[in-house]
Amino acid sequence: MWSLKVLLPFATIAILWQAASLFFPPYLFPGLQLIFANVVKILTTWDLLSGGLITWGRLIMAVAVALVIGIPIGLAMGLSRGVDDFVRPIVKFIMGVPALNWVIIVVIWFSNVELRIAVVLIMLCVPITVFCVYDGVRSIDRKLTDMVQSFGANRMQTIRLLLWPYVKASAFTATKLNVGNAVRTVIVAELVGAPFGIGRELDLAKNVFDMPMVLAWTLIMVGMAFVMTLVIEQTEHVVLRWRGSNHGRD
Amino acid sequence: MAAIEPRSNGIAAPKIRIDKARKRFVQKNGASVEAIRELTFDVAANEYVAIVGPTGAGKSVLFDCLLGLKTLDSGKIEIDGQSIGNFIKDGKGRITRIFQEDRLLPWLSATDNVALGLQIRGVPEKERRDIARKWLADVGLRDFVDALPSELSGGMRQRTNIARAFATNPEIILLDEAFSALDEITAARLRGDFLELAHHQKMTFVIVTHSIEEAIFLGTRILVFGAPARVVREIAVPPGAAENRALVDEIRDDIRSWIAASGRDASRE
Repeated sequence: MWSLKVLLPFATIAILWQAASLFFPPYLFPGLQLIFANVVKILTTWDLLSGGLITWGRLIMAVAVALVIGIPIGLAMGLSRGVDDFVRPIVKFIMGVPALNWVIIVVIWFSNVELRIAVVLIMLCVPITVFCVYDGVRSIDRKLTDMVQSFGANRMQTIRLLLWPYVKASAFTATKLNVGNAVRTVIVAELVGAPFGIGRELDLAKNVFDMPMVLAWTLIMVGMAFVMTLVIEQTEHVVLRWRGSNHGRD
Repeated sequence: MAAIEPRSNGIAAPKIRIDKARKRFVQKNGASVEAIRELTFDVAANEYVAIVGPTGAGKSVLFDCLLGLKTLDSGKIEIDGQSIGNFIKDGKGRITRIFQEDRLLPWLSATDNVALGLQIRGVPEKERRDIARKWLADVGLRDFVDALPSELSGGMRQRTNIARAFATNPEIILLDEAFSALDEITAARLRGDFLELAHHQKMTFVIVTHSIEEAIFLGTRILVFGAPARVVREIAVPPGAAENRALVDEIRDDIRSWIAASGRDASRE
């Protein structure tokens, strides 16, 4: 029943797409068999697959680095009004810069392609991590803080025993949001002069109107995001076992 | 009835001495609120003192001051003749508090929650978990040592809370309406268990409660607070008073009349 509910909307779209492919040329609406043939080609051709894996690696790196940078900043903002007052406008400013502007800025700033892509992705992911962690710290029940301190906990013990579990929960939320963000942005970043990666492959496919290949890469990217989210959710399920599947629900 | 006048430093070597304590707060709107006014009373070692009074009488603020979480504007708090700051510095967990809500950390098992105070004191993991399991068994939760708080009933959670307070082997326990969130049957059972443990551990405790019956059952002495916090009446509770219906009624009426009178006084000030 559950699988039917999930499959039905996708099956409907697939049927409509296949019907459209009967009336339009393949460069507009290629048939499903053509798209899946290209997916298989990507997965079985190392030159193509390696491009996909490079992009995937860039995504994972950006999301991980965003956690390393964002967690301490969010934690410091949540704990100190002074840090909050100073850092918040800067993080908000960075958050307001569109991804494409970052791409142009890094092209001028850096000659190294990997550095360009990394900076763009990190600039987009760090503010989300910062604000998720900040909200996590600020949402801690004051009564729990009083309880821990009534046992004589110092500041570091309060952070380790009380704040850190909340920060972990916030970090998972940030990571899930960042995966979506990074997947949407990485292609834009790769289009600007990356010799390897899905962005490069899409650029090549675009130049020859190879719509089946464009759609095959699109499916693979969605699959990547799906797998990453699934891994994060499973890890979250184990690490945050205490929240349970019905946490916060009636 | 065994009612006596408020004592100022009346016990020769008190466990707790509160002398002319004053505490004011400035609210967000700039208004100054007096929480504690010239509060003076002593608590002897192994004594059980119950504090009753109107809502907003500064009782919880007093507990915060006793735990060193807030400082007085003037006056002093001493435990065993030491200032409260020095007493707490000497050893974490010597004075602890049981809150109205269980305040268990939802991600920790019952064992790890009970061991929390010991963890803060730096007790090694195996030792603190052994102590925690022993206390969980003592409060009747032997079969729930690995349960998360969300898997325990309200009464079980409060038992865990009590076990957590006892696990640090404190000299003084402050109970902040500790049984008021429970149904009466569970609360009655827990009060009895708590009293037995406190007696067995030779502990001193101070309980803040809105239930006069609870104050009579648990306290060997009842302090009636006015608002702001100050002692307006002090009642020595004879042993077995809780079983004497007529005496309970008499004490209740007496306390109510004093609370009502202090409320009228406060409203005139």
